[in-house]
Amino acid sequence: MTEHPFPYEGPEELRQPILTALRRVVDPEVALNVVDVGLIYGVTVADGKLHAQVTMTSAACPVTDVILEDIETQLDRDMPPELLIQVELVWSPPWSTERMSERARRFMGW
Amino acid sequence: MRTRVAPARPRTLAPLVLILVALALVSGITGGLVRAGVPLPSLFPLSGWAGHAAVAHAGLMICGFMGTVIGVERAVAVKLRAAWLAPLASGVGALCLLVNKTDVGAVLWLAAAVFFTAVNVVVVHRQRAAHTLLLLGGALAWLIGCVLFLRRPGDAASLPWWFAFLVMTIAAERLEMTRLMRRRPGANASLWLLLGLMTLGAALTSFSVRVGGVLYGLSLLLLALWLGVFDIARRTVFAHGLARYMAVCLLGGYAWLAVAGWAWTGTTLGLPLRDMALHALGLGFIVSMMLGHAPVILPAIARIKIEFGKFFYLPLVALHLSLIVRLVWGLDDPHWRATGALLNTGAMALFAATMLGGAVLWRVRHARAGNDGE
Repeated sequence: MTEHPFPYEGPEELRQPILTALRRVVDPEVALNVVDVGLIYGVTVADGKLHAQVTMTSAACPVTDVILEDIETQLDRDMPPELLIQVELVWSPPWSTERMSERARRFMGW
Repeated sequence: MRTRVAPARPRTLAPLVLILVALALVSGITGGLVRAGVPLPSLFPLSGWAGHAAVAHAGLMICGFMGTVIGVERAVAVKLRAAWLAPLASGVGALCLLVNKTDVGAVLWLAAAVFFTAVNVVVVHRQRAAHTLLLLGGALAWLIGCVLFLRRPGDAASLPWWFAFLVMTIAAERLEMTRLMRRRPGANASLWLLLGLMTLGAALTSFSVRVGGVLYGLSLLLLALWLGVFDIARRTVFAHGLARYMAVCLLGGYAWLAVAGWAWTGTTLGLPLRDMALHALGLGFIVSMMLGHAPVILPAIARIKIEFGKFFYLPLVALHLSLIVRLVWGLDDPHWRATGALLNTGAMALFAATMLGGAVLWRVRHARAGNDGE
C-alpha cells in the first residue's frame, strides 16, 4: 500500500520518478509533502501526456496556485522533455483524513 | 513541457489593490502612533491626513489593511474577477477616510463587506464544511460592524464586530488545519460554542458594554485555550524551517490572545487595560499570525517568491518584545507606551525589510541555479 499512495497508469519506469518528484512538493504550513497529505488523486501517463489530478484541503486556500505550480515544476524537472505535463485541480471526491499516509498520521499524532 | 487545465488568471487589479493595502497600513500605523502620543515630524500633519488617520486608526487597520488583504486572499482562491471588488472597495474606502470623506468611506467599507460576504457564499457553495461556514460567519461579522460604523462612525460598537471578523477568519483557517489531526470529541462543538459567545458579546456591547464586554473577553480567552489544545502548531513547532517559524508565530499569538481576553474583560469592569486589550489582540495575535503567513501568502497573491531563513525570527522577536514594552511597562506610564508603540512600528518595518531581503535572496539563489531551470 505504502508503495502506491495514489492510482497510477503508465510506463513502469516513470512510476518511481513521478512519486519522487511529487514528494518534493511540500505544503509549507504542515511540513508534509502533497503525497503524504493525500492531495494526489491519480496520475496517468499516455499518448505523450502526463495527467495529474490534484485536490486541496480547502476551497478558500489562496496558496493553491503556488502548490500547483510547484507540482508542475517538480514533475517537469524529472520527466522526459517531450512529455506534456497537465495538472488538474479537482474537488470531487472531497479530501478527507483517510487519504493521509501513515507518516503524515504519525507526525500529526494519530 | 507543462500546461494547466485551469490556468491562473491574470490579475490586472492586483498592483492597484496592493498599493491601497500599503497606503492603509502606513496611514493606519501613523494614526496609531499619534494616538499613542508619539511626536511626529511635520510630514505628518495633525490637521491633515495624519489627524484623520488617528481618528480612523481601527478602521484603517482592520477594514483598510487586513480587510483588503483577506479580500485579496479570497479573490485569489475563488479565481473570480468580480471577487476583487471587495478588496478594491475596502482599499478605496480607507483612502476616503484619510481625506476626511468618512461617509463615502463608510459606504465603501459596507460595500466591501457585502461583496466579501457574497464571495464567501461562493466558497461555501463549492465546499460545504465547518471551516468555510465559519469564514462566512466572519464575513457577516465584518458586515455588521460596517453597518454600525455607517450609522455612527464615532461609536466603538463596530469594534468588537470588526475584531470578530478577523478572529473568526483566523479560527476558520486553524479549524481547517486541525482536520489533519485526530478529531477529538467536543473540539468542533466547543469552538462553535465559544464563537457563539463572542457573537453574543459583540451584539450585547451595543446595549450593555459591561455584559457584552465580559462575554466577549471570555470568548477570546476560551479561544486561546482552544487553539492551544487543538491547533496543529503544537505539532508543527517540532518540524523545521518555515513550518516551525509559522508555528512559533501562532503559539506566541495564542498567548497574546489569552492576554487580550483577560484585558478585554478587565477593561469593561473598569480596569485601565484598554490599550492592552486592543493591541494584545490586534498586534500580539493578529499581526503575529500575519507575520507567520506572509512568507506563504505573499508569493500567492503578489507572485513574488521568498527565500525563508532564520533571519525571519528577528522581526517576530522584535514585535513580541516591543509589545511587552508597550503593554507591561507602558501600563501606567504614557512615555513607555509611546516608546513601545514606536518599537511596534519598528518591528513591522523590520518585517517589511525582511520580506524584501527574502525576495532578493530568492532571486540571487535562483539566478545562480538558473541554467538548470525550465
